[in-house]
Amino acid sequence: MLAVALFGFAGFAGLCLCMEKHYKELLGRAPTAGRLRTLQIGGWSLLLVALWLAVDHSGWAMGLVELVAVLMAGVTLWVFLLPYQPRLLLGLAALSLVLGPVLALLPG
Amino acid sequence: MKEGFRQAMAWLHTWTGLIFGWLLFAIFLTGTLSYFKEEISHWTQPEVPVRALDAPASLALAQDYLQLHAPQAASWFIRLPDAREPGLSVSWREHGGGRRDFIDKTLDPATGAEIQARDTRGGEFFYRFHFQLEMPHPWGRWLATFAAFIMLVGLVTGIITHKKIFKEFFTFRPGKGQRSWLDGHNAIGVLVLPFHLMISYSSLVIFMAMVMPASIIASYGDDTRGFFNDLFGAPAEVRAAGVSAPLMPLPTLYAQVQAQSPGSRVGWIEVQTPGDQNARVRFSRHAGERIAHQRGGGWLFDGVNGTLQAQSSLEATPMLISGGMYGLHMGEFAGPWLRWLYFFFGLAGTAVIGTGLVMWLGKRQLKHAKRDAQPFELRLVEVLNIASMSGLVLGVAAFFWANRLLPVALAGRADWEIRWFFLLWALSLLHAMLRPGRRAWAEQLSLAAVLWAGLPLLNQLTTGQGLLQSIPAGDWAMAGFDLTALGSGLFLAWAAGKMWRTPVVSKRAAKPAKRACSTLIESEVG
Repeated sequence: MLAVALFGFAGFAGLCLCMEKHYKELLGRAPTAGRLRTLQIGGWSLLLVALWLAVDHSGWAMGLVELVAVLMAGVTLWVFLLPYQPRLLLGLAALSLVLGPVLALLPG
Repeated sequence: MKEGFRQAMAWLHTWTGLIFGWLLFAIFLTGTLSYFKEEISHWTQPEVPVRALDAPASLALAQDYLQLHAPQAASWFIRLPDAREPGLSVSWREHGGGRRDFIDKTLDPATGAEIQARDTRGGEFFYRFHFQLEMPHPWGRWLATFAAFIMLVGLVTGIITHKKIFKEFFTFRPGKGQRSWLDGHNAIGVLVLPFHLMISYSSLVIFMAMVMPASIIASYGDDTRGFFNDLFGAPAEVRAAGVSAPLMPLPTLYAQVQAQSPGSRVGWIEVQTPGDQNARVRFSRHAGERIAHQRGGGWLFDGVNGTLQAQSSLEATPMLISGGMYGLHMGEFAGPWLRWLYFFFGLAGTAVIGTGLVMWLGKRQLKHAKRDAQPFELRLVEVLNIASMSGLVLGVAAFFWANRLLPVALAGRADWEIRWFFLLWALSLLHAMLRPGRRAWAEQLSLAAVLWAGLPLLNQLTTGQGLLQSIPAGDWAMAGFDLTALGSGLFLAWAAGKMWRTPVVSKRAAKPAKRACSTLIESEVG
């Protein structure tokens, strides 16, 4: 479930950064159109991976419930910390991008 | 035309939200507490000891107890202890007793001795309150169900009114007065929307027979029991043969269940006509086993020779949907992590309602900011806001204080706890009427902070099971309650601190905020 949460969190971070307004605020420079597109595709792909991991781990019924729960929790955390701790959030997103695959690949 | 529709929806959102907001706040908060119903019940009955779980041993003790005290009963019920509620509860119905005439006892799961626990309704009180509202039978349910319907209306109209749902998906701008409240209200509403929709829709499904009886009456006429029997399986009442025969040891049957489906958890065990030739034993699945709620499921044994009679699988699609909605609402399947998420989403729903109420008032008070006195209707809403929000938080704390402070032997003790709950709630209404708005908030939130943060200390002083003992003993249901109470106290102290400070900061932000607000009012159709 933690791996699902991390993939979902990184996915939403990507979807947030793919909006020009947030990209500028968070990274302090103007993005290229290609960069935004990459972030958007990356974000959605991470969410799809989260979905696949959740269903693979707990089946459709339980997997979907768990997925929606951790996605809602992750994105709420992201939105309400964004004005206060943007650097921390970027760090967390990067960390989940690393830790997510590690946890997903660990046996058990 | 389109703009007109949106304005109409905004109007509906604003006014149904105001009229039902106070009630919905109470329903959501007590419903949220109910996700920890078992833990709350455990905290409110500290006499029930926590033992290592051993299902077969507990079953044998329960059987011995019932054999001794209720050999002639029409049926026995046994609930096995689990990590959330440590007591072994047994209940039975005497012959000729009504459907609800039960005698309940709680046993020590390691010794089988009867436990004299204090008289309280515990977590059950908040659970019942959140859909019955302590009103006489059909009225509370009707009102709560109607409130759920209004919540659903509020969500749908809210989505229609919210123009920039995707553009402002990730937007929260703090420190800007009304703008921040609206951002917060929208963000919690949208981000946790799947939960809000599920909760309000499923509450209508749970009471569907009450809300939309037409389709049932069309097929079944007055025989609504026939509908429920078809839906959930008739409660196969066995007739006693009148020939006595010894009941198989329940642990043996339990071993059969484990052999059939290894690792499955059992919640309830029901024995019909114990001690008779026709005795039946039903093991029902623990609610934590699956999402869809199932009634009448599990394993049914002949109680005398131990043959498996039926292993139910009620898997028709409509059943799965309605059972699934029920299960999702109750969250009984949720393990600790998911349960905490449920709890926080419940608080999020409460916060959406609370922020909505605060905004309704804030917007209108701005229009009267220059005058000395505000109109009566705004003062009324202000008082009701304070009493319904901080007052309820005070009332819940009062319930728990009463649980520890009232003498154990007091007659009607459980009712007195509930009286304390309502008494403090009523006092908060009185207090809100007598004090100016901001001071009333500050004072009530401060008292609430003291009461909540004081609960762990009170528990430590009045029982031997405060944090100093419960953490080393690994009793996380007890320790979790105390820690959560402490956390709530700190949060309330933070909120009270904000209220005590006269809004100096907002002077700087007042100008742009005010401009933002006036455009807000125009765009939102107050």
